[in-house]
Amino acid sequence: MTTPAPTVRVRDLRMTFGRTRALDGVTFDLVPGVTGLLGPNGAGKTTLLRVLATVSAPDAGSVDALGLDPRHPDQRLDLRGRLGYMPQEPGFHARFTAFEFVDYVAILKELHQRRARHAEVRRVLELVGLGAVRGKQIKALSGGMRRRVALAQALLGDPDLLVLDEPIAGLDPEQRLRFRELVSRLGEGRTVLLSTHQTEDVVALARHVMVLHLGKLRFAGTPLELAGLARGHVWQSQERDPGALAAWRTGTGQHRNIGNPPAGADLLEPTLEDGYLLLLGGDQVEEAAA
Amino acid sequence: MGGPDATGAWHADGELLTAYDEERLDAAARWSVEAHLTSCADCRVQARALVDPARLRRLRAALVDAVDLPRAGVTERLLVRLGMAEHTARLLAATPALRGSWLLAVAAALAFAVLAARLDPGPDGNLAFLCVAPLLPLAGIAVAYGPGIDPTYEIGLAAPLRSFRLLLLRASAVLGTAALLAAAASLALPQLGPGAAGWLLPSLGLTASSLALATAVEPLRAIGITAGAWVVAVVVTVPPPAPSSVLFAVAGQVVFAALALLGAAVVLLRRGHFESDRGFDTTPRFAARRLR
Repeated sequence: MTTPAPTVRVRDLRMTFGRTRALDGVTFDLVPGVTGLLGPNGAGKTTLLRVLATVSAPDAGSVDALGLDPRHPDQRLDLRGRLGYMPQEPGFHARFTAFEFVDYVAILKELHQRRARHAEVRRVLELVGLGAVRGKQIKALSGGMRRRVALAQALLGDPDLLVLDEPIAGLDPEQRLRFRELVSRLGEGRTVLLSTHQTEDVVALARHVMVLHLGKLRFAGTPLELAGLARGHVWQSQERDPGALAAWRTGTGQHRNIGNPPAGADLLEPTLEDGYLLLLGGDQVEEAAA
Repeated sequence: MGGPDATGAWHADGELLTAYDEERLDAAARWSVEAHLTSCADCRVQARALVDPARLRRLRAALVDAVDLPRAGVTERLLVRLGMAEHTARLLAATPALRGSWLLAVAAALAFAVLAARLDPGPDGNLAFLCVAPLLPLAGIAVAYGPGIDPTYEIGLAAPLRSFRLLLLRASAVLGTAALLAAAASLALPQLGPGAAGWLLPSLGLTASSLALATAVEPLRAIGITAGAWVVAVVVTVPPPAPSSVLFAVAGQVVFAALALLGAAVVLLRRGHFESDRGFDTTPRFAARRLR
């Protein structure tokens, strides 16, 4: 399998808020397909996504997205025309109907030709399964529906780059499933970067995964490679193993331990979550080994 | 035009249908053709051959679009009726400051100022009105645009429409509305005479300065600073026994005219600063609060 050419190149991104280093030298490439961005709260995920969405300008470092440099005003406008962005806490004009709201964003995206714009608004609302409630005021929609309205506006104009900040948070299992179906379809041919702190979403959707922690990129690779980090570090035992970094009793009554196993431990096949936990708690594991 | 067939039923002929297609019929004839077409398959077949299919598709799409479209809000319909482009009207309708509640607040503030001036028809009352009026457009600008105010601020930044354009559009709409209300209010104060317009230049000067300042600090803070400076200036320039202020004399008016021009120049030169968020807190403060 040949690696496709990167569509987004991020180099040594730095961003400081007061004393907090939200981004501390982040470098990576994105290729077409879905990339999951994992990290605990406060890791810098939202800051990174906002920089990619051209909402924030970084203190230092460079972004090259779809061959465009957002530092140039003209290229930034071009990029904004080919970009879909769903913020973590999308605000709404609550009195607008779902249709009017998405239509409003379509105007912000400079789709001025009236009827073509309306057709595009209907298309994206159908795509997220909100065709039937498009005439309802946003304040009358449920939380899950509102998130889908927010996704719909990001899909306007069929963007080449989609930046989705926690798109799946707060959805019920059925909605999540629909979301996954949609996002995985969107990932065909487009570059999709979505942040989440739920590892199942990444397993279900992402071809690539990155882990951000304290403003630094701790991992970039495939979901399988992330799980592979925990190979030989996951074992089960009757009781909680005192040497484990993390351990919990599973439904079978056994304890699942992550860390440095004792000799002769009953090793288990690691999951992506194991790899993620081990990566974030890795320093402690090293200490335990020393 | 048309006539009965062998069975005695009436049908439209080609000439009538062509006239219908080319929109040469008067309303009554058009309606009867349409009523007949809905009930007569033969004539429909004949008519179909005459009408350009592309035109038919276009008309159908326009019809479906119009029928399906949700009814626009009051502000938007009013603006479109006044001749504004439909997409510009939508951009303005989304301005928090153009909501009924805000306009009501402005009207109430002006009514109180006018009331004060009427109860005390001396210079004190007039001064109260002149000092309050310039603050209203400023308050309007504060709730027209920006992080924490516009719930779609972030989405707007990531969209190609220049945020600066949106800002100007909304600021001028708010300024215009507030100025209109204040002008109406000053008509209610005939004793002020031409002096009633004394608030106009200060409000332009303050608005332009606050927008200029907003290229450096958070918009809400910029407006707070400007409003604070105005209040201090008013207090300082009104020596206790003399109920008048140099702000409304020629010297003061010239200063505000200069401020307005200078502010506008700074805004134009630094308009690029409106195109990214510079780390502002973008959490919607008012409009979307109830939704979360």
